[in-house]
Amino acid sequence: MSIENDKVGEEKLAVTEKLTNGGEIGWDGQSLQSMLAETERLTEETGHYRGLEDLELKEENRFEYERLYSRLRGALVSARETALHVSASPIVREIGELCFQIYTPEGDSIAVSTGIIVHVHTGSLAIKWMIEEDYEHDRGIEPGDVFCNNDNDLGNVHTTDVHTIVPIFHDGELVAWADGVTHEADIGGASQGHTSIVHTSRFEDGIYATCEKIGEGDELYQDWKTRGERSTRTPMYWDLDEKCRLAGCHMIREAVHDIIDDVGAETFKQFTREAVEEGRRTMESRVQERLFPGTYRNSSFVGLPLAEEGWKPEQQKDSLHHLPVEMDINADGTMSLDMEGTSSQGAHSFNAAEGSMTGGLWVSLTQCLLHDGKVNDGSHYALETNFPEGSLTNPDDPQLSFHAPWGTIMPAFQSVWQNVSQAFFSRGFREEVVTGYSETTDTVQGGGTLMESMAQMIPDEVGDYFPVSPFDLSCQGLGASAVRDGLDHGYAMWNPEADMGDVEEWEMVQWGTQYLSRQMKTDSAGHGKYRGGSGWEGVMTVMGTEDCTLYKASIPDVAFSTAGMAGGYPGSTKYAVRAHDTDLADRAREGEPYPTGDTPPGTFEEQIDGDIERTHRGNYFPKEFDNHDVMHFQMGGGPGWGDPLERPLEKVVADVEEEIYSPETVEKVYGVVGEFDEKNRVFEMDRAATEDAREKIRERRAEESVPFEEFFEAERERVQDGDVSDPVAEMYVDAFDISEEFEAEFDEFWDIDRSGF
Amino acid sequence: MVAVSADGDRNRPRLLAMDTGGTMTDTFVVDDEANYTVGKAQTTPDDESVCTTNSFADAVGNWGIEPTDGAGKLEGIVYSGTAMLNRLLEREGSGDIGVITNGGMEDQLRFGRGIQSWADRSYAGRLHAREHEHPEPLVPRENIRGVRGRMNMAGLPTLPLYEDEAYEAIQDLLDRGVRVICVCLVYSYLNDNHEQKIKDIAEEVMEERGESVPIWLSSEQKPIRGELPRLNTLVIEAYAAEPSREQLRQVDDGFAELGSESPVRVLTSSGGTVAPEHDWLVDTMLSGPIGGIFGGEFLAEELDIDNLVCSDVGGTSFDVGLITEGHYPTRWDQSLAQFMVNIPMTAMDTIGSGTGSYVRVDRTSERIEVGPDSAGYKVGYSNMDSDVDTVTVTDCTLALGYLNPDSFLGGDIPMDRDVAIDAIDEQIASPLDEDPIETARGVLDIVERDMSNELRGLILGLGYSPENYTLMSYGGGGPLHAAGYSRGLEFEDILIPQWAAAFSAFGCACADSAYRYDQSVDEILQPDFSNASSVAYSINDTLETLRERAEAAFDRDGVDPDTVEFQPSLRIQYLGMLDDLEVDISEVWDGEAGIDAEGVEDIIDRYEAKFDQVFQRAAKSPENGYQITMAIGVGVGPSAKPTIPQEELQDETPPEDAHKGTRDIYWDDGWHAADLWQMRDIQPGNRIEGPSVIEAPATTILVPPGYEAPLDENRIYHLQEQ
Repeated sequence: MSIENDKVGEEKLAVTEKLTNGGEIGWDGQSLQSMLAETERLTEETGHYRGLEDLELKEENRFEYERLYSRLRGALVSARETALHVSASPIVREIGELCFQIYTPEGDSIAVSTGIIVHVHTGSLAIKWMIEEDYEHDRGIEPGDVFCNNDNDLGNVHTTDVHTIVPIFHDGELVAWADGVTHEADIGGASQGHTSIVHTSRFEDGIYATCEKIGEGDELYQDWKTRGERSTRTPMYWDLDEKCRLAGCHMIREAVHDIIDDVGAETFKQFTREAVEEGRRTMESRVQERLFPGTYRNSSFVGLPLAEEGWKPEQQKDSLHHLPVEMDINADGTMSLDMEGTSSQGAHSFNAAEGSMTGGLWVSLTQCLLHDGKVNDGSHYALETNFPEGSLTNPDDPQLSFHAPWGTIMPAFQSVWQNVSQAFFSRGFREEVVTGYSETTDTVQGGGTLMESMAQMIPDEVGDYFPVSPFDLSCQGLGASAVRDGLDHGYAMWNPEADMGDVEEWEMVQWGTQYLSRQMKTDSAGHGKYRGGSGWEGVMTVMGTEDCTLYKASIPDVAFSTAGMAGGYPGSTKYAVRAHDTDLADRAREGEPYPTGDTPPGTFEEQIDGDIERTHRGNYFPKEFDNHDVMHFQMGGGPGWGDPLERPLEKVVADVEEEIYSPETVEKVYGVVGEFDEKNRVFEMDRAATEDAREKIRERRAEESVPFEEFFEAERERVQDGDVSDPVAEMYVDAFDISEEFEAEFDEFWDIDRSGF
Repeated sequence: MVAVSADGDRNRPRLLAMDTGGTMTDTFVVDDEANYTVGKAQTTPDDESVCTTNSFADAVGNWGIEPTDGAGKLEGIVYSGTAMLNRLLEREGSGDIGVITNGGMEDQLRFGRGIQSWADRSYAGRLHAREHEHPEPLVPRENIRGVRGRMNMAGLPTLPLYEDEAYEAIQDLLDRGVRVICVCLVYSYLNDNHEQKIKDIAEEVMEERGESVPIWLSSEQKPIRGELPRLNTLVIEAYAAEPSREQLRQVDDGFAELGSESPVRVLTSSGGTVAPEHDWLVDTMLSGPIGGIFGGEFLAEELDIDNLVCSDVGGTSFDVGLITEGHYPTRWDQSLAQFMVNIPMTAMDTIGSGTGSYVRVDRTSERIEVGPDSAGYKVGYSNMDSDVDTVTVTDCTLALGYLNPDSFLGGDIPMDRDVAIDAIDEQIASPLDEDPIETARGVLDIVERDMSNELRGLILGLGYSPENYTLMSYGGGGPLHAAGYSRGLEFEDILIPQWAAAFSAFGCACADSAYRYDQSVDEILQPDFSNASSVAYSINDTLETLRERAEAAFDRDGVDPDTVEFQPSLRIQYLGMLDDLEVDISEVWDGEAGIDAEGVEDIIDRYEAKFDQVFQRAAKSPENGYQITMAIGVGVGPSAKPTIPQEELQDETPPEDAHKGTRDIYWDDGWHAADLWQMRDIQPGNRIEGPSVIEAPATTILVPPGYEAPLDENRIYHLQEQ
């Protein structure tokens, strides 16, 4: 496999000889464990990475430093580009869900390739875990070894992200680690898809590689390959993606060897450490430059309506998750993020390990503060986090399911974005404000097998199973800023390079499904002076399959995860409608219209007969879909900024003409009245009626308003009496259970002895 | 104006290449002895026959020839221009376009798959989601109508076309006064039945109404997978390309009036030239900048070089194209002015550092940043005629002594070295507490390292090493930076043609007269080749259609189809992989019988060999079978080619009058007294030893200490480490 086996062979001999003589693989005779301990101690004591108060190489040999940085980064980028060619899964290719990193021996990220930056710190946790578990003496870490991890609890974002980790040696010392990660279409498990909401425990999640050695001498073990082949529904994609990760890691290793040949090991080592410290300093400077110091707080919520949908008794309940975020932004550029008061871990797929949460953090900060792409673990050292142990954001039970932590990460980071946005705004960077986003949910997942007649064209080796996991969910609405509307249909919080992909690409993979539409979802954008970006909706049918199971996960559906800012509204919630046992074939024969959307909601079933299931909750667990069954899905809109009444009238007119909002909605929310000629898309505003309607809205607001004290007192009474819905009461009781600190603060805020929850 | 002529007034203009830019129209004329001359004229957008003939007159004027005399001798005229692209970039195209899509997919144009909101941004811009913005759609939503019906991924009609909706859609669009209707339905490239049906209905409706507008089908223009790029390409044809057709005819007429008997051919982005009558002009949208690659291909063939890197350093960017085993690859999935298109384009990678790139210090990280924005034609801070207030890369090269401040662009631009040094000191060196000269060199190190990273990444990405390639450097800045960006890469050789500054234009003159047709096929070949016969049958069918189209195009141009060479190729991938490779099948393809089952196996052998070479780090996956994704047919007609200089070698020592004195240059931590040479006086066979600077009005070659640069019989310098 490797093109430089000779070099690896030499290194292996050197390491074996060293170990036989009682040597260690760390630098200067140290073990990795002692290097890690020393790094942590020095960083803690001095506030500088490994105590590096001066960046000697950077300061004294600035251009050499730049050359090294650019060369190392270039190696990561080119590894990614090359590896992409051999990677198969449509997710990796279509939306580039592939990323390479290089780490110090202690597991601190030095540089990251292009791709999904969510993984800056995840591999770091896995490497540190292996070091702490003494792999170097027990399992063995040697040249040519290959490790794999997708266990979130040990360092990963979600289980379908699979890491391949390769140690890089020089002269008998481990000089760095290369790590490649891809997002898999399927890893086995109790249900199909890459982000299942069905699972309740680890035992349903599918393949787990727990910092496992999967190969040596640059070759993967036979038993490991067999396991992959037999444990996933899409073994071909699994195999090709694995080849892609390994090839990329080996290219990085080769590049590191070249660099060391050129500049010497000592310079390389010095450079890697300075790069991390520089990352820390850059982060602090950026914070100082762009954010206003202070304490910022916000809370997100996630509804989990599983009482009816849940399969297992323990998941059959409607619950609400509490995700409070407090951030301190300090004048010295350091920051902290504290989620005390978060709901506890549970029997569902939304448990997010610490690695998942830090992943979310990096992908957020790279989009607003660190988008020059020079992010590494130094940034991590500039930021303190508290994800409470045992909570949703740092579970202490590895037996839980970790399949869909995005259901926690994405809502939680709505609060982070709003906090950071307040800090930007306070500093005067109004254009940097992001009021939030629609969570990337509601697309269809599942899979099926082709009918015999269709399957004949597919080679037997490939099988007739097709996965359904289109990543058109990467195109949601982005929230408004404080100076302009949010981006329509084009944002995914975990990957700013959104791409919904062509229908002709997706259907080539998910053979048995067909899109009947992809169109604007009117009224999905959050209202405001600056509106949120709009979402869109689609309708899909199933054809030529023998059995096809599809499901849908949805946030937000029964509860908003976030609000808008400065008076803006949140984007609309999502819901579900589908039709089974339909008359689609008859309609098509007769030329009767079939549904291409559900706008306004309720029109879907006007154009299809069959068993219609419509629920306010957007999710449903895997259901069998027969040929000609039809389902609707939608991507949401982003939240707005500012009072809708301040939105310029000509923009509201354009919103109607572009089908962002319906005439009924703009009348209700913006007080804009007029006639809409739908065919020619001309909205004639009635000025007098508009002025009248806007005046009425102002009058109604004045009537409904109460002084703050009155409002607070009324709410306080509700809290005291427990006058809230059951899921809300249960949410707070659970949060109090795992955090006395949160309960005390809650009681103090409401000035009560104890809530009535 | 530049004139390189060995023997004054005896030049016979033979080939003409012209490039009409937004402000200036450049022409490049070669004679039958490989001498060339360059002309310029102000672009006349309302009638380009004026600027093209003026520019030609300016060029041949350098040889003392009247344009009416020169035009009559021309054997080939190649046109490239930016009018179409500018029309798109500046949104000044022709509107009133109607679009018909599948019912339910009417919004796909404005969705732009989401990717169009960031496709053309820098890396930082891609990460910074707040900056993303969709391009304004070229067709307003009210001019888009949907018609229900679907084909599936095998090209089978799974839902019939709703003909009533088609009637209504056509009526609506005609009511709206559209001047063309673009039809793009999902999977029409596999089965065009529904698109054709819509065309039939449209014709019926138009006849009833007594109106006529063209109905364009995506399956006729570019039957290639990907409905968004397919629709965009069709729409861009209507918006920006078609409106140029009349203009091209005017240019043709203009030269005919001057007495030219040679028709004007328009350069396409895939490397051939087409007549202004070509059915789809969108292929000519983006052609000028890649001319150098065609020139590289021509030189590679003439000089028997297998692998050549073409590198072009311009004012705003560094462009690289690879010619491997004599061929350059083609890409489809690119964006054009933020729109995803499926126009086959010669693969060229670009990074945003050129000679005009701005240099700044990021105060937060205390690091030097170069580009991506650029002063472009304003050159730099030290250009005394410009208002540039930020240091550029050219200011750094000037500070280091590489450039002659008195003869920049032949002395047209007044440069001041002291001003450059002061600005570098004030803006970059002082804030970092560094020496200005060392900083200037450091800036070049950063720029040139970025360039060599790009080269290394591209070459390794193809499974080769730099040692397998010859590097060719051209463009105004290429010869100046070649030594820097080739450092540490150990190319087999480094070539700098004496006509480096005009090399892209030279390349345009090298293009074949060719029509290219592509067709997605999605044929699956079983791993045991059990269906090879039926695959061969289907491929033959497709290629035959492509050949007929190419021959028909030449027939229209009045070219005898018997003189046309048909070059078929296929794009193939292992089933399940998503990156295909192009395999030339000319040697397997029989002009009469096409290919048979055995031929299919032969083609797969070629594919596997190519895969090994390109993806040497990946294991092959033949166990899943193969997918033939695309058939490509290129018809190549006879066309005149330039000759390259072939001169007798003289002494190694350059003539004394070529020596212009010395100037100090800074290289590797120290100053060196460099010899200055006048390029036009250097003779083939002369060997220029470093440190030297070879100066010509439009370019400068830097031969650093420890290097030498012999000039060969083809007037190409070989930059070598001693």
